[in-house]
Amino acid sequence: MSENLMLPYLAKIVEVRDLATEIKLLRIELMNGGSEAFRNFQPGQFAFLSAFGLGEAPFGIANDSGRGSAIDFAIARLGNVTTGLHELGEGDTLGVRGPLGNWFPMKKFKGKNLIVLGGGIGGAPLRPVIQYVLDHRSDFQHLTILWAARHPSLLVFTDEYDEWRSAPDTDLYLTVDNPDDKWNHDVGLITQLLEKISPSPANTITITCGPPIMIHFVTKMLQEKMGFAPKNNYVTLEARMHCGLGKCGRCNLGEKLICVDGPVFNMEEVGGLLETFL
Amino acid sequence: MSETHIDKKLWLISQNELSAWLDGIAEARTLVAPRQVSKSILYRPVANSKEIAWQSQFPKASPPIRPTLSIKEIYFPSTERLFTINKNGQEIVLKETFPDWETVVFGVRPCDARGVKILDALFLDTNPIDVFYSRRRSNTTLIGMACQSLRPSCFCTSVGGAPDDARDVDIMLSEVDGGYLVRAVTEKGRFLIPGGEWEETGDHFPSPKFNAEFTLAKKGKLIEHYNDPYWLNISERCLSCRACAYVCPTCRCFIVRDEMIKSNEFERIRCWDSCSGKNYRRLAGGHRPRAEKNERMRNRIFCKFYYYPEQYGLGLSSACTGCGRCIEVCHAGVDITEVLLDLEKMG
Repeated sequence: MSENLMLPYLAKIVEVRDLATEIKLLRIELMNGGSEAFRNFQPGQFAFLSAFGLGEAPFGIANDSGRGSAIDFAIARLGNVTTGLHELGEGDTLGVRGPLGNWFPMKKFKGKNLIVLGGGIGGAPLRPVIQYVLDHRSDFQHLTILWAARHPSLLVFTDEYDEWRSAPDTDLYLTVDNPDDKWNHDVGLITQLLEKISPSPANTITITCGPPIMIHFVTKMLQEKMGFAPKNNYVTLEARMHCGLGKCGRCNLGEKLICVDGPVFNMEEVGGLLETFL
Repeated sequence: MSETHIDKKLWLISQNELSAWLDGIAEARTLVAPRQVSKSILYRPVANSKEIAWQSQFPKASPPIRPTLSIKEIYFPSTERLFTINKNGQEIVLKETFPDWETVVFGVRPCDARGVKILDALFLDTNPIDVFYSRRRSNTTLIGMACQSLRPSCFCTSVGGAPDDARDVDIMLSEVDGGYLVRAVTEKGRFLIPGGEWEETGDHFPSPKFNAEFTLAKKGKLIEHYNDPYWLNISERCLSCRACAYVCPTCRCFIVRDEMIKSNEFERIRCWDSCSGKNYRRLAGGHRPRAEKNERMRNRIFCKFYYYPEQYGLGLSSACTGCGRCIEVCHAGVDITEVLLDLEKMG
């Protein structure tokens, strides 16, 4: 490995498929030493992807390392780098820097009920958590998944819902803001769905990712209406970053840096700081 | 001030001896020193001592020379290449080069040397080590020049520094009648000093007394007033131009981007950036946290006096060196000492 920590590993794209409108799944295999670095990445970690010539940006890793050597990323086409990544096809080369950041303490969650709340592309870094739980199913109690998007066409990983639903002791609830004619699940914000389910905080951990405003209202509701202790509400946060190594200064949340102190936090750690992130 | 220099030897040298020494250094290494560039004085490479801007060239009562930009740019250039990218169809080749030339910087002000120490905490002392910074750091020797007075905007004494603070340089010089007193502070500095050629002197290194001018607000006070409407008022005049960060010896935020060199060749670079900028936090898709000026100004001040020292275990209350550059450069008259004094006075 180079001393230059900004130098990415090269990786080949082995699969590209559409996940949702303007959201693609890129499955990659690392080359030249990168596979060693990524051998044991953990649920919740992230990496920088380079579209060479356009730049690099951070993305949550969207699969669990227990599912094989390939690494998945869900990319929503929003800016220059993501547009460049969308233009790549199978066999093309991209750059990968990581794995970076901390992760969900899955071993600490053993024996607990888990509630996973994903909003839109925010579901991507939660997929490794779901995969991990399904692959170690007897280590955990009940798994509840609340999955939301603005529109049915923006729901991610739809082809995996049957696998999730059919797992023992697992429930999947779906909601969208704006349904289409075929929609036969809930309609409304994820907080409305959460209120309807109204989970008990007993022996339960929640894990949330989505737009900042969703994280804010979900965690507020969990604590104020359902009586969760902030330390049992885990979130994974996103900010603009340019290094992922705690140097570039950009992703601070008060005195914390999302890239190295996070991206995974419990609300006891960041509750008072979250407003600066909205 | 704790004395960290390696021996008590002091030399008294004339201007001619100093110039000859610097000329010798410039022959073998890159010598960087304050140099007049158009209307500014900047730390720039000089071919010999004649190109240096000397305090003696200015009228007697002039304030001490303080180059427009700090020595930050010697370790952490405003734009730096991280690697080059060659694209040939599906094949990508990345090439990197590291800085490895030896540099001696002359005429370093104590506040600027302090700034390097503060950047060390981030780039060297907190893992992972930044290879570009660390190469430059180990290849650079700092020759300090004590200030004989303070400029109107200077406040190093209020943030734990002093005009003659020798802690962070390798060699320290002080102007005296008839020349300069010289002492080695580190082994690296001792190595540069010519042995028997100079006259040793028993004089004490002059240490003029400067008292702290202000009591500036500390972390606790800042936290207490995080939500104060004060930030709205004081930031009203900020232009978000980021000049304060550009001249700051310790502002180190950077942006990373790719630039085209020619059709199939690109470079990935990092450039200085600042949290005062409007789009600093903007995400693809348009979400823009810390959108308001008051939030951004608060962040910059909190970074200097709370976040940075906390994040990088400085063991100091401040990542500000008191150089005063941000005060002089601000077109809107934002004065960091005014802000901290205001906060200190608040109940």
